[in-house]
Amino acid sequence: MRRPLVLVAALLGVALLAGSVTRGSPALSAPGVIRITSLDIQVMVDNRGAPSRSAGDVLLIRQLLFNTRITKHAIGHADLVCTYTSARSRQCNGTYVLPRGKIVVSGAIRFREFYELAVVGGTRLYDNVRGSLTVTLLTRKPRREILLFRLVV
Amino acid sequence: MKRSRFSSIPLQTRMVAASAVLAVLVVGVFLALVLAVSALREATTQEARSKDVTASALTLEKLVLDIETGLRGYVITADKRYLEPYWEARRQLPSSLESFEELASHEPRQRVRAEGLASEIRHYRSDYADLVLRFSNLEAGQLATEIEGKRQIDKIRLDFKNFLRAENLLAASRERSASAKSNHAIALGVSGLAASAAFIVLFGFYLARSIAQPVRETAEGASRLAGGDLSLRLEQGGPGEVGGLITAFNQMAESLESARRELEGQNEQLRESERLKSELVNTVSHELRTPLSGVLGFTRLLLTRDFDSETRRHYLGIVDAQARRLSELIEEFLDVRRIEEGRFERAEELVDMAPLLRDEAQLYSAQSRKHRLALDLPNAPLPVMGNADRLRQVIGNLLSNAIKYSPQGGIVELTAEVDEDAVRVRVRDQGIGIPAHQQPRIFTKFFRGDAAASGITGTGLGLAVSRDIVESHGGRIGFTSTEGEGTTFWVELPSANGVDGQLQGDGVQRS
Repeated sequence: MRRPLVLVAALLGVALLAGSVTRGSPALSAPGVIRITSLDIQVMVDNRGAPSRSAGDVLLIRQLLFNTRITKHAIGHADLVCTYTSARSRQCNGTYVLPRGKIVVSGAIRFREFYELAVVGGTRLYDNVRGSLTVTLLTRKPRREILLFRLVV
Repeated sequence: MKRSRFSSIPLQTRMVAASAVLAVLVVGVFLALVLAVSALREATTQEARSKDVTASALTLEKLVLDIETGLRGYVITADKRYLEPYWEARRQLPSSLESFEELASHEPRQRVRAEGLASEIRHYRSDYADLVLRFSNLEAGQLATEIEGKRQIDKIRLDFKNFLRAENLLAASRERSASAKSNHAIALGVSGLAASAAFIVLFGFYLARSIAQPVRETAEGASRLAGGDLSLRLEQGGPGEVGGLITAFNQMAESLESARRELEGQNEQLRESERLKSELVNTVSHELRTPLSGVLGFTRLLLTRDFDSETRRHYLGIVDAQARRLSELIEEFLDVRRIEEGRFERAEELVDMAPLLRDEAQLYSAQSRKHRLALDLPNAPLPVMGNADRLRQVIGNLLSNAIKYSPQGGIVELTAEVDEDAVRVRVRDQGIGIPAHQQPRIFTKFFRGDAAASGITGTGLGLAVSRDIVESHGGRIGFTSTEGEGTTFWVELPSANGVDGQLQGDGVQRS
């Protein structure tokens, strides 16, 4: 019983990712949810103040994106640039590069175990898309996260 | 009365047909009831399943809420005791999900909803709840529950609400369907029973009208028949065997009436025979006594007195004549006896009736002075095959009757004629004639009509014997008579023209 459901969900995911939901359409035409995972491949900190985390420090994160229901290979990548505004808080901007377009997010992050960013736009299939990105920590080493894009048009 | 095709159908066939119709009706009603009850049971089962689905959904929703509540309590208080409902719900969740999906799978739209809900709950558990529990930072957990937990729980609760609303609508629909089918089954059963009862009542009326009534009428008819009313006939009608019964009854009545008529006829004949026998006894005793008295009287006279020879000769002549008369009477009785016993045999000899008729005419013309006997014969012979003595006896009887039954005298005509086929003889008198009502019995043995009362002697055997003799010769005898004017008897005998042989008649042989 679950198998067809998973298959349907996977096909929906592929369709969203590949933009096939709106084959021949330049942009997303209906709300949708994208559930993928990320793997941190590079984390760099530009410590510009005190030795510990402090305002002004810049954090660069590079990730590979996976949809393990479809393929074990990465389907895209992401780059996030965060600027610490205090010892715990940081203001982040990021771009998630997916097969049928890019999704741009922005917002404040307090805890990396769970945070929520706003989807502020995108390209191609995700042109002018809005919504939210909810990120939940999946594993620490290697650091994997579950990314949940809730998109509206 | 012409019977219709329907009325000719046997009763047995009708009863079998009616039973078949009743059986089909009952089976039809029973099948309809079975179908209706099956539908009702199916609807009831679906209604019960709806309740099970609802109960399962509520249980599942409670488990999800327990997980969320436990998780929230833990991330807020850091007290692991709050996780007890979480772990309990977590333990029950897989089986509950499976049960929920299984129960909801019987209705396609609900199955889709249920699968969506189950997927949502599984994601809630795997992508959210289980992960939050592993957070090292409970503040992050609190944030997650406030944002993602609330969002997912709200969504799950909304989906449960929609699912339950749909299931309630479905249950209500099924309940209405079950109720309608129940009502339908009851209505069908009641109407089927009413139809069966009506059919049975109608069939009962039909049986009463078609069988009981004719049978009762037949029984009443039989009683009247037994009471002696043999003229009774029942009106023909009724189906098959009943019609046959009435027909048989009428035939039986007809047969009984016919038998009674026959018996009455035989009784009448017996009475007539008895009467004739009495008359015979009277006649015979009278006929025998008269000549016998003459014989005895004159014999005693001759024995007791002396007469001269002429007188004695005269008396002896009288005795001789009376004795001959006695002999003739006895011969007549013996003839009747012989004819009745079939012992009478005619001789097959060629006889010329002409001399025979002349002889008889001469003989009887001498017997009465009041009568004149006119003889009219053709010149040609009148040949017949037979017994000359018996034919002479016939002609003698006819001439004797003609003289006796014309007591006033008159002309007695004896005529004859011949052609290729027959010799015809007629004896015509001018006597008293025969009353019309006596004419049918004139050839009956011992029948003498009013002769006895009129003092005319005879035995009543002459004509009967004559008819038997004529018919034994292949001929016919008959008469025409008018009361008061006279009678003509005729005899027709087959002609023997063309037959070679010697003619018998007056003793002269002719060729």
